[in-house]
Amino acid sequence: MSKRYIFISVVFIAMALVLVLLPKQQNRDAFRPDLLLLEINSGERFLSVDHIAERIIQGDPSILLVDVRSSDLYDEYHIPGAINIPLNEVLNDSLNAALLLPFKDIVFYSNSTLSADQAWILCRRNKMESQYVMEGGLNTWFDHIMTPEPPQEVEGNDAIALYEFRKGASVFFGMPAPVVQYTAPENTNAKPAAVKKSKPAKQVIELKKVEEEEEEEEGC
Amino acid sequence: MGPLIPNEIISPEWNHVFAVLIGIAFGIVMESSGFSSSRKIMGSFYGYDFTMIRVFMTAAITSLIGVLYMDYFGWIDRTELFVVPTYLGATITGGALMGLGFLAAGFCPGTSFLAAAIGKVDGMVFIGGAFLGILFFGEIFPLISDFYYANYLGHITVEESLGIAPDWFALIFAVIAVVVFYVLSIIRKSVEKVKY
Repeated sequence: MSKRYIFISVVFIAMALVLVLLPKQQNRDAFRPDLLLLEINSGERFLSVDHIAERIIQGDPSILLVDVRSSDLYDEYHIPGAINIPLNEVLNDSLNAALLLPFKDIVFYSNSTLSADQAWILCRRNKMESQYVMEGGLNTWFDHIMTPEPPQEVEGNDAIALYEFRKGASVFFGMPAPVVQYTAPENTNAKPAAVKKSKPAKQVIELKKVEEEEEEEEGC
Repeated sequence: MGPLIPNEIISPEWNHVFAVLIGIAFGIVMESSGFSSSRKIMGSFYGYDFTMIRVFMTAAITSLIGVLYMDYFGWIDRTELFVVPTYLGATITGGALMGLGFLAAGFCPGTSFLAAAIGKVDGMVFIGGAFLGILFFGEIFPLISDFYYANYLGHITVEESLGIAPDWFALIFAVIAVVVFYVLSIIRKSVEKVKY
């Protein structure tokens, strides 16, 4: 072999060896920043609280709610069926498995949308698919689903239907007696009504006692 | 940054302009290396001239290492490069047929155009034969389409099919190439030198 071929051979081996020995780059699989920016601006990641509530009520198995608040806040209250992955552990490998479940729409929520958005960006940068954010977070959840406001008189059928749905949803999610809101203007009558209810109850008990006594008498 | 056209740094219309320019450069280099002579290719089969193998292995390693370095520096996104899909049976059969054609005619498609361009009649006849072969293939394609599409492996690269990292593949390939160069030089010495 001539000197020229030996030189070329050495260069090839050296270049390839350097390539092997170079430190591996991180985040090579990251989402392209310009595309990520487009997705952030498009707002397609947001799911409304009504949409989420409807899917939970219907028992949709393809939705997984992820509470990104601290575990203390999660223990205090969380939407039924939600799992808890605090924001700083979203990229923890052992917890990642839940976020990579196939055929699941992963919906992040926090008190507002701030922490949930951060979790969403972390996941999207890692090219995870089907990631969403609950629009407005738990604050909107409480405003719209748990304590729905009745529609104004000028609003159309859609608003009334939505209110009816939210009223039902609030019962489903454990809010007691939305009927109280209807009788709210008649607060003055509320106390007499309560008294009236207690009176028949007493009467019934008395009747039962009478009946029992009669039976006993017959038995004797 | 790269690839330039998928990332819209230059418009797709430039594709053909670059193709022509690179083709001209390729032809100049091949002609200056003497590839317009059919004996160059025959030499790799009969063992008196291995320029062809050396040139193509050098080109493969240069581009392999070059792409990996450019990918490392962020100049090009390797995942966006087009990888030709692999139909295993058809590729092996086609490769064997092409080798047979090399052996029979003394040209590969590139060098035949080179020979025709400098006025060699055998090169022109080869091009005519190549077009006849294309026509024949097109006519019988419905009969062999099942075989053609069998054993589809997708847009797969060699290192993906072997399951090793691309940088390690580059190193292994470079070592293999150097060994091949050395073995070829020994064979060359043992074979009587042909003058042409």
